[in-house]
Amino acid sequence: MRHHVRLRRLRPLALLASACIALPMAAQVNAGASVKAGAAHAKRASSASGTINWWGWTPTDSTLANDEIAQFHKVYPKITVKFKLITIANWVTALRPALVSGAGPDIFEMQPGAYVTEFNSFATNMAPVMTQALGANWQSKIAPSGVSGLTYNGKLTAASVGSVYAGMLWINQQLFAKYKLTPPKTLSQWVSDCAVFKSHGEGCFVQGNATEGFLQDTLQSITNSVQPGLWTEASKGTAKWNSPGIVKALTIWKQLFSNGVMQAGSLGYQQYPDANNAFLTGKYAMIMMGTWYMQNVTTAGMKSAMQAAGVTNPKPFTALPIPFPNVGGHPSASYGDADYGLAIYNRSKNIAAAEDFVKWLATSSEGQQYVANQLDDLPSLRTIDPNFKAIQLVNRAAQQGAIQNLIKNVGSVTQPRESLLSSDVQNAILTAAQSVGSGSATPKAAADTLQKAAVAAGEKFK
Amino acid sequence: MPQVATGGKPKGAQASSPGRPRRPARTWHVKVPGVPGATSGRGSVKIASGVPWIMPALVLCVGLLYYCIGYTGLISTWNWDGISPNPKHVGAGNYSSIVHDPLFWGAVWHTLIFFAVTFTIQTFLGLLFAVLLHSKVKLAGIYKVVIFTPVVLAPAIMAPVFREMFSPTGQLNSVLHAIGLGALEQSWIGQTSTALPAIMAITIWEFTGFTFVLYYAAISQIDSAIVEAARLDGAGNLRVITRIVWPNVAGTTFALATLSVIGALKTFDIPWLVTSAGPDYATNFLGTYIYQQIIQLDHVGYGAALSVILLVIAVMFGVVLQLWRNRRADH
Repeated sequence: MRHHVRLRRLRPLALLASACIALPMAAQVNAGASVKAGAAHAKRASSASGTINWWGWTPTDSTLANDEIAQFHKVYPKITVKFKLITIANWVTALRPALVSGAGPDIFEMQPGAYVTEFNSFATNMAPVMTQALGANWQSKIAPSGVSGLTYNGKLTAASVGSVYAGMLWINQQLFAKYKLTPPKTLSQWVSDCAVFKSHGEGCFVQGNATEGFLQDTLQSITNSVQPGLWTEASKGTAKWNSPGIVKALTIWKQLFSNGVMQAGSLGYQQYPDANNAFLTGKYAMIMMGTWYMQNVTTAGMKSAMQAAGVTNPKPFTALPIPFPNVGGHPSASYGDADYGLAIYNRSKNIAAAEDFVKWLATSSEGQQYVANQLDDLPSLRTIDPNFKAIQLVNRAAQQGAIQNLIKNVGSVTQPRESLLSSDVQNAILTAAQSVGSGSATPKAAADTLQKAAVAAGEKFK
Repeated sequence: MPQVATGGKPKGAQASSPGRPRRPARTWHVKVPGVPGATSGRGSVKIASGVPWIMPALVLCVGLLYYCIGYTGLISTWNWDGISPNPKHVGAGNYSSIVHDPLFWGAVWHTLIFFAVTFTIQTFLGLLFAVLLHSKVKLAGIYKVVIFTPVVLAPAIMAPVFREMFSPTGQLNSVLHAIGLGALEQSWIGQTSTALPAIMAITIWEFTGFTFVLYYAAISQIDSAIVEAARLDGAGNLRVITRIVWPNVAGTTFALATLSVIGALKTFDIPWLVTSAGPDYATNFLGTYIYQQIIQLDHVGYGAALSVILLVIAVMFGVVLQLWRNRRADH
């Protein structure tokens, strides 16, 4: 056969086709200060020892977690803690089979809402541990969201380490200064700012809309601007998801796509790593993130994050939080929950050592001070604030006041972020947002579908 | 203990040689004293000679695979989160919900389109490459390696590459812009209209090498005298391919069609890793939908019902293809 089918005229096709096949392979080749708490580290007497595994989705920079572990190890030298960072998108996928099979980590992170509902049966009751650490009135010493959101049927499933709040944008101040722009306060200014950035070949606002969670923040912020509190009411079932305020919020959401605010292809972006990396590499001027992004105002945090985003010689830029623009007629209030609590796996073989670590990080002043100074979470203990003298900021003049204001403002937050939503409702929100964003459904139709899905998911409406 | 009663070639080998006289099948005789009527004239049961050889696989399949299928069928009648010790029995409720689930039908539709497009293009390209490389081509070995390499690359490794390539600022748009086709730049995986074609393009890129290898081997088996005779009769390249090569590789095409159907039904990794089955479920397949229901939303019973339906569809396609093949063979 080899000598009989001679197709010389078609040989250039072989070359072309081979080149097409080789292109992606070539693309593959091309793709490609620690904070001091200042506390004394007195070694604690503890009978516990050994190695414990801690799985979490945060701190998103595992360097921060390892710094915390190092501080803990100074106090409890007999206990070794190993942190495994799992992205939030893969959290359930990784944790669920591990817990069910009995091979789960000694400590795993818990978040108010769907995770507490799903994983509470694998967690020990942390209330006795909290009592032991903080006394009988322990509930009065920590942020309320760290108690209610992590309690399931009277059982405290995890000890809150810190809280997070969302409902603000983060901007790259250098880019705004470069083009002499002021941060947007209204939708029209947001649109005009984006037009200016685009005219200079810069990205404006970046968001990952491929998965739920972060687009939910944007929708909640828009809704809070349209009708303050409506989102929380719908989450509780005291208002419907297809009420006019939600429909208007979805209409504004659509405008973000059609007016050039949302980056092209946002429905294919993941917030982590795509949108996060795009912002940290300086390609975009704005991103929707919460208080956990405070870690990027520290020099060490920003350098580490930029390196993780692919910048080889990072030069930290000034990231600043700004209020969510007034897109619907009212200032948009922030919202938040306990970011994460540490739960102890009830089949752990080293519960005592795990309790020592949880107590140190969640209830000791030195552990909580360390959490505060990393500017990842707002500490759970009410008496602890970040010690800015011990924190090296990228641009102290611009950032310290902004961060202090942010911390002060979120102190009065009353609306939860995710704790009232089941995974089914969150999935329905994702579907509604994507269908409106892609144009396959009108805001009204998407809201109606969302309402039906919420009812089907068991949400009771009054 | 069973004993070998007769020797000779395996039965299958005899069946494949129709011109030879058939020998009696090899049998094993097992004495079964307490089972009247179950014995042969010598007081033993006749067991087909291949049974001991297939026993390990049979035990594994029946014990593991079919048990799992049966258990999945049982779970499909539950409303269960996969953790709760007390699942609620809902009978055929999950199946009833699936029938009215637009996302399920969307996934079925995507699977059908995916199969039709990827199979057609892979078959065309695979056959084209095979024919071309059977001619005298310099550096043919290198071409073969280049064509086949995508087959051995793990989708998990390639997914970030394609996410980058197809992103709005990715290499594909850069190439289009550079060659003056900037008007064609798209958010390839960020919009519903182009996400599925992008997933199909990745799949074609990845598996055309496999199609090529099978066709290359099949073409090697064609009697060169037939082609030579056709050449002497004045047949050109196109006629040789369509009238000689294509009919003679029909068996391979059938095998590839079967594998493509199974592959389409099992599609999971590329759409999940590249587009997360989106946007707006534009690249949702049965595999990704089952994963989402079971893992992300804890609807284990519903996901199990989807799995059973997937199995039924797969068996159905297998039967249809087999019937089609038998009919062709009869003709």
